[in-house]
Amino acid sequence: MAAALQIFGIRHHGPGSARRLLEALDALRPSTVLIEGPSDASELLPMLADAAMVPPVALLTYAVDEPARAIFWPLAAYSPEYQAACWAARNGAAARFIDLPASWRLASEAPPSKAADDGAKEPDPARDDLLERDPIGVLAAAGGYQDGESWWRDVIEENSRPGPVFAAIADAMTALREAAPPVHGLEAAREAHMRLEIAKAAKDTEGAVAVVCGAWHVPALQQKASAAADRALLKGAPKQKIAATWAPWTAPRLAFASGYGAGVAAPGWCAHLWDRPRAAIVTSWLAKIAAALRDEGHLVSTASLIEAERLAVGLAALRDRPAPGFEELREAAVACLCFGEALVWDTISRRVLIGADVGYIPDDVPLAPLLEDLQREQKRLRLKPEALERDLAIDLRSESGLDRSTLLHRLVLLDVPWGRLTDAGRSRGTFRERWMLRWEPEFAVQLVENLVHGPTIAQAAAGRLRGAFLQASDLKTLADLVLAALTARLPDAVASGIGRLERRAAQTSDCAELLRALPPVVNTVRYGQARATDAAQMEFLLARILVQGALALPYAARGLDAASASAMRDVVRGADTAVTLAAIGGAERAAWHDALRAIMRDAQATPLLAGAAASLLYEAEAFPPDEATLLLGRALSPGRAVADAAGFFEGFFDGGGARLIHDQGLRNAVDRWMLGLEADVFVEHLPLFRRAFSTLDRMQRRRLLDALFGRAAVGLPGRSLAPDAATIWPRHSRASAHCCRRGWPMTEDRDRRWRLALGGEDEALSQADQRLSGALTALYGEGNADDKKRRGGLGASAPHVARWMSDIRAYFPSPVVQIVQKDAFDRLGLQRMLLEPEFLAAVEADINLVANLIALRNVMPEKTKETARHVIAKVVAALMERLERKTAEVSRVTVHLVQLGRQRQ
Amino acid sequence: MAPRAVATYLLGGKALDGTAVSAKYIGDRRLIETAIATLATDRALLLLGVPGTAKSWVSEHLAAAISGDSTVVIQCTAGTDENQIRYGWNYAQLLAHGLSRQALVPTPLLRAMEGGKLCRLEELTRMGSDVQDTLITVLSEKMMPVPELNEAVYARRGFNVIATANNRDKGVNELSSALKRRFNVVVLPLPDDMEQEIAIVTRRVGEMALSLDLPAPKNVAQEVARVVAIFRELRGGATLDGRITLKTPSGTLSTAEAIAVMVGGLSQATYFNDGRLSAEGVAPNMIGAIVKDPVQDKTVLEEYLETVLKKRPDYAEYYRMLVDLV
Repeated sequence: MAAALQIFGIRHHGPGSARRLLEALDALRPSTVLIEGPSDASELLPMLADAAMVPPVALLTYAVDEPARAIFWPLAAYSPEYQAACWAARNGAAARFIDLPASWRLASEAPPSKAADDGAKEPDPARDDLLERDPIGVLAAAGGYQDGESWWRDVIEENSRPGPVFAAIADAMTALREAAPPVHGLEAAREAHMRLEIAKAAKDTEGAVAVVCGAWHVPALQQKASAAADRALLKGAPKQKIAATWAPWTAPRLAFASGYGAGVAAPGWCAHLWDRPRAAIVTSWLAKIAAALRDEGHLVSTASLIEAERLAVGLAALRDRPAPGFEELREAAVACLCFGEALVWDTISRRVLIGADVGYIPDDVPLAPLLEDLQREQKRLRLKPEALERDLAIDLRSESGLDRSTLLHRLVLLDVPWGRLTDAGRSRGTFRERWMLRWEPEFAVQLVENLVHGPTIAQAAAGRLRGAFLQASDLKTLADLVLAALTARLPDAVASGIGRLERRAAQTSDCAELLRALPPVVNTVRYGQARATDAAQMEFLLARILVQGALALPYAARGLDAASASAMRDVVRGADTAVTLAAIGGAERAAWHDALRAIMRDAQATPLLAGAAASLLYEAEAFPPDEATLLLGRALSPGRAVADAAGFFEGFFDGGGARLIHDQGLRNAVDRWMLGLEADVFVEHLPLFRRAFSTLDRMQRRRLLDALFGRAAVGLPGRSLAPDAATIWPRHSRASAHCCRRGWPMTEDRDRRWRLALGGEDEALSQADQRLSGALTALYGEGNADDKKRRGGLGASAPHVARWMSDIRAYFPSPVVQIVQKDAFDRLGLQRMLLEPEFLAAVEADINLVANLIALRNVMPEKTKETARHVIAKVVAALMERLERKTAEVSRVTVHLVQLGRQRQ
Repeated sequence: MAPRAVATYLLGGKALDGTAVSAKYIGDRRLIETAIATLATDRALLLLGVPGTAKSWVSEHLAAAISGDSTVVIQCTAGTDENQIRYGWNYAQLLAHGLSRQALVPTPLLRAMEGGKLCRLEELTRMGSDVQDTLITVLSEKMMPVPELNEAVYARRGFNVIATANNRDKGVNELSSALKRRFNVVVLPLPDDMEQEIAIVTRRVGEMALSLDLPAPKNVAQEVARVVAIFRELRGGATLDGRITLKTPSGTLSTAEAIAVMVGGLSQATYFNDGRLSAEGVAPNMIGAIVKDPVQDKTVLEEYLETVLKKRPDYAEYYRMLVDLV
């Protein structure tokens, strides 16, 4: 018996020891292979050899009544345990796990809430734990190595006098264990169990027995202990019903950094060592790094690779090592391929060192835990899966309602849309949710696919979110994910998400990104308060993102083109709504208002945004209506370019035209300003008013006019004199008197101006004014904000449009015409019109038009092309003239300077 | 010296015969080993780093240890031309005897090639890019052609080049990728350890104050600790407790700059503030060191002030002064 038993101390996830183990097994040819692993999961071992099983995979055992208590034993292709199981299957040997049953461990696990998401955490103190887990790594670290595999290779494999490797390891471990304190508790029980199992196997089997276990255990398994004492240690085994299965695993989760205690530092490096023949390791590893660098856009030449390899060899020699190992290769790569920049290395290190392999489990493996968990939850919450749609209203204040909502949210996160949230619930208060439930059979499959993230719905959802956090690149996505984590009540995921969010917030200086993240962050804070979560960190983060965004806003608001300005305006509006909703301190709110004020006053700020900022400030009652008059006057004074003024006006009144109806102060401000304009300036600005007020519908216009002139609304019963007439009239008469003195239009003119500005109700206007108003109405409509129902629109008739164009040109100066024209293209889709020669001849030639024409050149009929060429030639000629003038100016100055210089000499 | 002896010489330790060797460079052992291995494999070495990270110091000691001579050096500036890198001509000789080896004036680089020594190039990137590129042939072929004489100078065994350059300076000439490829690059970092950095700053400030006849007030050490803490936080992109991530300004904020800020503050204290060293004297110097780019860095600093410094009572004075100045 004794001769046939051999114990192989291996390094978990060690490619070197896996290779040696296979050689040793081939030499020994055992009939039974005993492997360190939970003995009650032995029947799953043969599945490892299934061709469809692709590592990394993990043996998953969990308590049947509570899958949250689960333990994983991950195995990679280069894990000696995996290779031993495969060897046994290939060679017809019996394979068995011999470690303590999982039921024992699961029963003695710490409280379930502490069972880590990634499982397999040992409760021992760190140092002992490390020694037990990876004694070879500890030996390597003592020898000045950062990577245990390099040490293994140098000391054991490249040893000039190769001896019996496993005997040497056993010796080393014996020495180590003598120095270490004796094992106790669970560890002692484990070793006793293994000893008993080995003894039993040795007695039962004919042939040789091979034991594959962590190197640390070798001395304990070799030592002679009395079976009775061992049995005593195993007395009182806890009863716990467990289930076991295989779960797909991922390379990143094999890494130590992922929280897997027994993980390796660099799974990618280990896989590389296993995949490649020994002679090719250095070169192909550097080639891998080079490929990753090239993918990132760095230039890496083959010559540099040669130099890197030379440097690695040189470093190995300097450090007295037989061959370049992990560290030498890393340092050589940094010095030769990354030009010394560790940052460059960091950008690729994750990809190279960790890898992205995902395991695969054959279809016949039992994949129950998630489904079981779902069934249990369904039973508990009395939610039946039904194929027909069903409405479900949930009150979040009740315990069961909250649990139901949580389950549905988690399932949504897992891509199992059993329930669809029909309203966000926020419009009706945060305590209510409405779901539409419908169960589809394929949901079961989708759910099971999530096993890779965790064995229960909660853990899988958290795991999946963590993955999403890593991939999310912008703040808003991250903030949305945090909100999702919060609604699904996954506190761990929330914490890690907030961490990511915070880092990202610090790194970004993109104002739009910061501001866009505000609404979800605010919702998170509010939601957190509603659900009694500790949201203090989030509140801090909110204040910080807000302050950061506010500081960046004035700069971000400068020099934007039309499209980005309007996008930015939406962002700013969204952020402002969030700020209004948020429960934040006065200092932060003040910072936000300061930023808005800065944009409003900044001459370089994009006018649209300046207008929007002013309007937001006005809404927040940060300045009085009187100041609004001044502001409008300043923003729209004749000295400013018409396009800028138009932008400001649009920004200020966007979506807020209706405000004029209710806000008397503002109405007066606009009124005063409008009446103060010179007659011709007023006409020039007219298109701007129309643009801004085009969102008002017919009824609103009428009400606005009524409000302005204190008339009773026509056809609106119960309305008589405007309630504020008494205050309006004196002011109006004052204004009128003022106007009279200055020789400015009287009330009649006021009436005319407002009618022109608002459009509609033309019958009271003079003939000329009617034409003017009609021309604008054709474009901006009168009374229907809805584009499709636009009345009196330009239609598709080219001669009509051409006439309209010439009208517009007759009424307004060239810069205004260009704005109107651009609106016409945008709003009415006049692109088609450009194909008509008579129309083309009538439009105002400018560079925008040329761009439009060039874009249309392929669809343009031949005779229109002729006209188009003329138009373009006209614009080009104008441009050339301007350029020439400038060039001539410059050359004249230059000649002058040169002459001056000569004279001095 | 043998490579391993060079490592011992620089990093300190025991020589083979047991003599204790003092450390010349305190920092990451691996970096120095990489540098030595580079030179041992006959590749040129480029030491990069922000000012005050002991680049020149390391290069000097490497040259001394390896070839026994650290004086073969070219100080590169914007005015350095090819004649100072390759060779020049003695015009009197040239006129008298025509083109000949006697008329050729060798540069340190040429002499190093002929003598099989290490040549040091200080501040490589300050030299114009076109001049830098004359090094390409020398580095890749270890040979310098002299077309006027129709011959070439071949480097003797032992010749190599150690260059130093500043990697965060603006307005220097970027290395061409052809040249960069011929160097192995080692980046020397700023001190990792806060205590160490405070000690360095305090010592250097003390020395400089002494040489400038500035009396050092009692609270120097305290203010140094604050300034170094602010510098380290901004430079490292995170608060010292690691809770809050920060943006980093475009300047280097090196130890050397912290020293300069403190000396500036001291001199202000002595001449304008009755010898009292306070945030009032130090803060303006700090602004100068932190805000190098008026738009970007200002935002970074504002953010730092509002999110971090504002909440620290013991930095209240700095917060107030810096906010006023920004």
